[in-house]
Amino acid sequence: MGVAKRLDSPDCRGFDLGQAVAEAGRCLLCHEAPCSKACPAQTDPGAFIRKLRFRNLTGAARTIKKNNVLGGACGILCPTARLCEKECSATGIDRPIRIGRLQRFLVEHAWKTGFNPLEKPETRRKEKVAVVGSGPAGLACAAHLARLGFPVTVFEARPEPGGVLRYGVPEFRLPKEFLQRELDDIRALGVVFRCGSPVRGKGAAEALLKKGFKAVFLAPGLWAPMRLNSRKAAGVFSSVDFLAAQREGRKGPLENALRGKPCAVIGGGSVAIDCARSALRLGASDVYLLYRRSFAQMPAEEDERLEALQEGVHFLVLNQPVEYLCDPKGALTGIRLRKTRLGRPDGSGRRKPEEVPGTDWTLEVRAVIEAIGNKAPEGSSQAYPSVAVRPDGLIRAGEKDGRTSKAGIYAGGDIVRGPDLVVRAVSDGKAAAKAIAAQLGVRA
Amino acid sequence: MSAKKVDLSVEFCGKKFLNPFMLSSSPVSNSAEMVGRSFDAGWGGVAYKTLVTDRVPIVHPSPRMHGYDYGDKKLVGLQNVEQTTDRGLKPNLLDIAYLKKHWPRHRVMASIMGFSNQEWADLAKAVTDAGADMIELNFSCPHMTVEGSGCKVGQEHDLVEKFTTTAHKVTDLPLIAKLTPNVTDMTIPAMAAKRGGAVGITAINTVKGLSEVGLDDWVPRPNVFGKGAISGYSGPAIKPIGLRFIADLAAHPELKLPLSGIGGIETWVDALEYLLVGASTVQVTTGIIHYGYRIVEDMIEGLSDYMAQKGVSRVQDLVGKAIPHLHETGQFDIKRQGIARYDMDRCVGCGQCYIVCRDAGGFALEWDEKKRRPRQVEEKCLSCMICGFVCPVQGMISFKEMPKAFKRRETITLGRARS
Repeated sequence: MGVAKRLDSPDCRGFDLGQAVAEAGRCLLCHEAPCSKACPAQTDPGAFIRKLRFRNLTGAARTIKKNNVLGGACGILCPTARLCEKECSATGIDRPIRIGRLQRFLVEHAWKTGFNPLEKPETRRKEKVAVVGSGPAGLACAAHLARLGFPVTVFEARPEPGGVLRYGVPEFRLPKEFLQRELDDIRALGVVFRCGSPVRGKGAAEALLKKGFKAVFLAPGLWAPMRLNSRKAAGVFSSVDFLAAQREGRKGPLENALRGKPCAVIGGGSVAIDCARSALRLGASDVYLLYRRSFAQMPAEEDERLEALQEGVHFLVLNQPVEYLCDPKGALTGIRLRKTRLGRPDGSGRRKPEEVPGTDWTLEVRAVIEAIGNKAPEGSSQAYPSVAVRPDGLIRAGEKDGRTSKAGIYAGGDIVRGPDLVVRAVSDGKAAAKAIAAQLGVRA
Repeated sequence: MSAKKVDLSVEFCGKKFLNPFMLSSSPVSNSAEMVGRSFDAGWGGVAYKTLVTDRVPIVHPSPRMHGYDYGDKKLVGLQNVEQTTDRGLKPNLLDIAYLKKHWPRHRVMASIMGFSNQEWADLAKAVTDAGADMIELNFSCPHMTVEGSGCKVGQEHDLVEKFTTTAHKVTDLPLIAKLTPNVTDMTIPAMAAKRGGAVGITAINTVKGLSEVGLDDWVPRPNVFGKGAISGYSGPAIKPIGLRFIADLAAHPELKLPLSGIGGIETWVDALEYLLVGASTVQVTTGIIHYGYRIVEDMIEGLSDYMAQKGVSRVQDLVGKAIPHLHETGQFDIKRQGIARYDMDRCVGCGQCYIVCRDAGGFALEWDEKKRRPRQVEEKCLSCMICGFVCPVQGMISFKEMPKAFKRRETITLGRARS
């Protein structure tokens, strides 16, 4: 019941024109707008809000899409409270301008009114560019190159494009139709998507260069889930599979595993919160979020945590999983937990959880979703043997231009940064596009 | 003083009003049913929707109004092509009689408009017989479809005098001329009305305006099936114009007639300003169109509390109190000068002051990029105060007078200073 109520709440919908104009009316129209300086992808909220204020809605949408081709998705997914909105001068009066909501509105308004702010390039160039992966980094790179006239082909391993936007973010946060429209805008620029075409196998990336692509941008993301070191049990999922299955139309088995049953999500990040809220929507009777530190140390954004709380997720903090318990058939019956307390700060600056001996207890659950992080798949770097990678499988690439150790091959997004925000991946894609264009003799 | 001891009643043209708040002649005063409810809500009187003879049938254009918004602020102005009443004369006269019977302490001022000299006489006689307390002569509707009526009369001063005289001959009721602001000097028609026998002036009727044009059809609003018209504009946007005309009339050395003020009144503050520049009663339409009759509750309470706090017991004692402070600009003491004063502890760092001071002011601000704070160079401040207008922090920037020795330094960007 709580879930249904939240789903209908205005928070889940975008602004309408009246609300947007009212919110923009609160903007202080700052000199050297600090919000604009705080956006990792240089989306320039100071400019697009001013344009909205002066009834230049087309120009506002153009500013967003030109700077950030995934401006709509970022408007929804960005943790604005610690980016643009954190710097908002209006906070000194009462509260920050709801920049993310305005950004989303302007992109949706352009769709609604049939205005396409991204014009097709006037000059067509010959030099082909390959992009590996259609997540935020790949899409941003592809769109920016296409706008400069380069023919771009995006190779995507999965059946549909979008990467983490499609397979890693639940539908209730980023609706399918919304993503589709963002992708349509990019397709309209002439970007070609080749889905179900993984670039894998020894030297597959270098092979693209040989096939006539003048540059390759690697942005495959991180899709191998980290797992707890415990015995196998039926009913234990990784966050990657759990979230992807819901987007791939494989909801049935998940519902069977969760409906009416207590379940647990292990982890304290945004992905864990997404999993917990998804589990509620799949009909779990109780959803426990297990986290070994406390509420304040969770990496998940504050608004996400609060929303999960309001929807009815039970936050079970200061508890550490010890092992899974199974019935004789191997089906999960519970999870043994050990209580923790916070000690001194660790390397991350957060207080380190310490186990409290003799406090083990059993939480009865029928399903567990492990959401403790992603890494590069084992052996993934075989596909680009000439590119230097770190011991953990992440690619070494220049922060400002995405250059790798191999000329002509660039990289960005999570495969370089480790797990990070969509908006930072967009920024990587833009930066690499600029460097690739420069390599091909075009100043972007 | 207790607010209960405050007397809101006021005398206007020899008639006692329970309070100065009236409905103006408009859609909000269209029938006894409506006006009766407004009296129950607290309004002290009504200028009843303008009556016409049945000779020329009135059919309103459709749609008849258009709302003008500013940003997210709804209805800062209202454009309308509504005319006089479209009801028959007889039902309106019965309504007036009904109102006087059931609300004897409330004032009913019947607004009339004749389309010939004889009609002014006929209507004045009819509303007198119906029991109206006073008569408002509508010389000011800016968009009548009947040739030679409305504000076209108000712009022809001899006609104002002539029709007033005509009405004056057939009734003993006080005559109040309602005048149009679509003139350069309203005191001229006001004096003409006085010569004709008017004992009071109502102002202003709507300002001729063109509030918006359709961007797809290029038709000015309201779009009456492909046609627009320059027509009456009202609401908060015209308050400064209304105050100006009332002040003009109040300050006129020979006119000396009681005034009923109209134009953008929504709150007790607006009403009070009209009283201070010389109105004895005030009339409201657009405020009611926007919010309903209930706004009078806050006018009554707000004005009562203000008067109690100020120690003013009678509304009459507020009327015209601003007029002695009204001067020609040439009389200002320009030897006294000041600057904008910044309370920097409260600054939120938006930098809007810096932008406008550079682009429209005296270059008196420098910008500390790191701290995001303006720094004022006092000698350059022109005291235009625009920085204070755009500052989002209430009262952070205010005006302060400088000592006699203060010398302003002109910013020289090109060329040389005169020595």
